[in-house]
Amino acid sequence: MSTDVRDILELEKAAPEITKESILGPQDAKKKKFSHVLTPRSSRRPEGMAREVFALLYNDNKDAPPLLPTDTGQGYKQTKAKLGMRKVRPWEWTPFTNPARTDGAVFHHWRRVADEGKEYPFAKFNKKVPIPTYTDAEYAQHLQSDWWTKAETDHLFSLCRQFDLRFIVIQDRYDEKKFQKRSVEDLKERYYSICSILHKVRKLPGAEPKAFDADHEKRRKEQLARLYNRTPEQVEEEMTLMTEYRKIEARKRERDKKTQDLQKLITAADNQSDGTKSEKKTVARKKFTQVRPKIDTSVIETAGIKFPDCKSSGVSVRSQRMKLPASVGQKKMKAIEQMLQELGIEENPMPTEEICQHFNELRSDMVLLYELKMVLQTCEYELQSLRHQYESMSGDSKEPKPAASTQ
Amino acid sequence: MSNSAGMLYGGDEIGALVFDVGSQSLRVGYAQEDTPKAEIAAVVGVGTDANQVAEPMDVDKKPDTQNINTSTENTKYYVDTTVLHAARKGVEVQSYMKDGMIENWDLFEKVLDYTYSKCIQSDSEYHPVLMSESPWNTRTKREKLTELMFEKYNVPAFFLVKNAVLAAFANGRATALVVDSGATHTSAIPVHDGYVLSHSIVKSPLGGDYISMQCKQLLQGMDIEIIPSYLIGGKEQVKEKEKPKWTRKRNLPEVTTSWHDYMVKKVLQDYQQSVLQISEVPYDEKQVSSLPAYHYEFPNGYHQDFGSERFRIPEVLFDPSMALMGNTMLGAGHIVTTSVGMCDVDIRPALYSSVVITGGNSFIQGFPERLNRDLSVRIPASMRLKLISANGSSERRFGAWIGGSILASIGTFQQMWISSQEYEEAGKSQIDRKCP
Ligand SMILES: Nc1ncnc2c1ncn2[C@@H]1O[C@H](COP(=O)(O)OP(=O)(O)O)[C@@H](O)[C@H]1O
Repeated sequence: MSTDVRDILELEKAAPEITKESILGPQDAKKKKFSHVLTPRSSRRPEGMAREVFALLYNDNKDAPPLLPTDTGQGYKQTKAKLGMRKVRPWEWTPFTNPARTDGAVFHHWRRVADEGKEYPFAKFNKKVPIPTYTDAEYAQHLQSDWWTKAETDHLFSLCRQFDLRFIVIQDRYDEKKFQKRSVEDLKERYYSICSILHKVRKLPGAEPKAFDADHEKRRKEQLARLYNRTPEQVEEEMTLMTEYRKIEARKRERDKKTQDLQKLITAADNQSDGTKSEKKTVARKKFTQVRPKIDTSVIETAGIKFPDCKSSGVSVRSQRMKLPASVGQKKMKAIEQMLQELGIEENPMPTEEICQHFNELRSDMVLLYELKMVLQTCEYELQSLRHQYESMSGDSKEPKPAASTQ
Repeated sequence: MSNSAGMLYGGDEIGALVFDVGSQSLRVGYAQEDTPKAEIAAVVGVGTDANQVAEPMDVDKKPDTQNINTSTENTKYYVDTTVLHAARKGVEVQSYMKDGMIENWDLFEKVLDYTYSKCIQSDSEYHPVLMSESPWNTRTKREKLTELMFEKYNVPAFFLVKNAVLAAFANGRATALVVDSGATHTSAIPVHDGYVLSHSIVKSPLGGDYISMQCKQLLQGMDIEIIPSYLIGGKEQVKEKEKPKWTRKRNLPEVTTSWHDYMVKKVLQDYQQSVLQISEVPYDEKQVSSLPAYHYEFPNGYHQDFGSERFRIPEVLFDPSMALMGNTMLGAGHIVTTSVGMCDVDIRPALYSSVVITGGNSFIQGFPERLNRDLSVRIPASMRLKLISANGSSERRFGAWIGGSILASIGTFQQMWISSQEYEEAGKSQIDRKCP
């Protein structure tokens, strides 16, 4: 069985295969030799042979299949399963006492004759929670309480003993008629406080039992109850609030991202104009950096087109250098085309060294320009929509709106 | 028992008997078996006719002499289906149960006598007895039962467990909310670590018997005569909704009304079991009428299709406002949520995550599905809800018995019994402490 499973799961055979022998223990010597001779032949399944087919060949008696019909094998005539080769161990309906019982009652059960005289096997599971006891004197001296009489405390402790500190059951079975209704926390508090007092008074070794914080527990349960008692409407409201919150978060993140993009573009523009262009740009840059929050520029890569270095070995056509890399999107390509047309420059100029370089630079600047335009557009659009929002929200506010003057 | 390798299996059989005492029937069998040996109706036929020829099957124990019973030597008791269902002159049918508890002890004893001699066929002093009881059983009744078992039947050991706890055990749970829809009531019983939380039990009197009554009213309203099979001598096939053609059996003895009513109830119960179904969403005449009707033939040969009425009747279990007369009872879903609401908040998730459905009445088609639906709209969405209902019919019908069978054959349970020695020493009052 287990080898089947292993086969199916295609696991390697575990080192010592579990066989009938290893389970059933020692067998007579002849048998051992027999199996020993055969083991080398108990071969692995040939690669590619289906498990089921192999199982037909390689069955229990581990012989190669006969080539001719024979009548020496037992075939299907072997009627007796050759399990447990040992003698049966008889069972007997015997009386027994259970040491876990205090009354020595005698019951009867089936038991192996060989097991006679052994202790009742289940007695060892008789575990009890140790519940402390107190003497009258101890009670009078240390355990008095304004809220609890001795009788009630005794009742509590006997229930603790009976129900092994299952406080929920204890509370259910608590004698409310004789005493008063107590909450689970009240009961726990009393019980644990007595435990810790007794521990201190008797100077027992070991850590002091944990204190029970009834107030905390009560508050926790109150909250839990409130959580369960929410009406569906409340739950729904909470849900919508959560989704709204998430939306706001997402919008904020988007805006941050946009700012970052913008910053990136600005840096790129600045870098490109460095050295070649006038100081006008630097002024602009300064203005921007004053307005915009400073963003870690180190992570920002330059915008525009990054032409790959054609440094691969071997010969290449120079026009290859002018090919736009795949990272330039369809839209940008269209934009470049259009701008080239506007400037009256042909799309595929002769690729001399110089032209190549300038043409690429030109197009890179074009893309940058295009991106800046796009950003400007979205910013304007946003401004517009915010203005509308502002107007509609501050509706009939008296203060003059800046937007009003433009209309 | 331990085997050679020193491994320990959980079970130890000591030849105990398990009795599940229900309002509808008493279930009896040996612990460690998977179904009870016998299921005996919880009613007894009491005949006063001395001239009746005794049947070989019946138990005619002479009443105990110390009983101040006025019954004469000739009082006969008819227990179990075979003898109970035969028409006899002057035999009254009486139930020994009331509100899920044993009420008529004499009759109960008769049934126990019958059980030991005919079903178990062994003497009571050899078998410890584990009995189920309703969760609201009273102290006096428990003590009386203990006394009866030890004094009259000399059992070597005895134990009482609430049937809800047993039903939970049968489904492998120690903590569960047991929904028991039996003959006389539907109840929700929280079980925590194998103990019933008695203050949080909620029950309603809407059970199988109420449904039977509703069926009766329905059929009477439709002018369908309910003829129990004992009256029928012969019948002919008729067309649907045609007046049945049947002849009355002749030479019938003069039966009592209670016996006749009992036989009528048997017909009703069969009708109830085959025809009724609970709609998965709250009853809606229009929606339900589009569902297939059920064709049913009565013992007298009358037959017809039953459509929406087969959904309307059991709907009352979930929506008691369907019952005539302004009703303040609770539907099954409501019973469950009320009960859980009375338990400590800390254990509520555990209860909702194992709601065990048991009892014969929960067999009405669609009961678990509807309960599931009703609960899932009522409880917080964050709470995990899981309904457990044994699929096999005997597993659910005998849920409590199977739980008892399991419990009584667990090795570690053997120390729990009240032994006859303990009874001799401490008397019957210890039952409350030993079997809480
Ligand atoms: N297959 C079934 N379909 C519908 N109702 C059933 C079915 N079997 C039993 N009942 C009903 O269940 C009730 C008996 O339930 P049961 O759990 O045996 O009661 P109790 O435990 O109180 O003895 C009866 O009213 C009977 O009509």
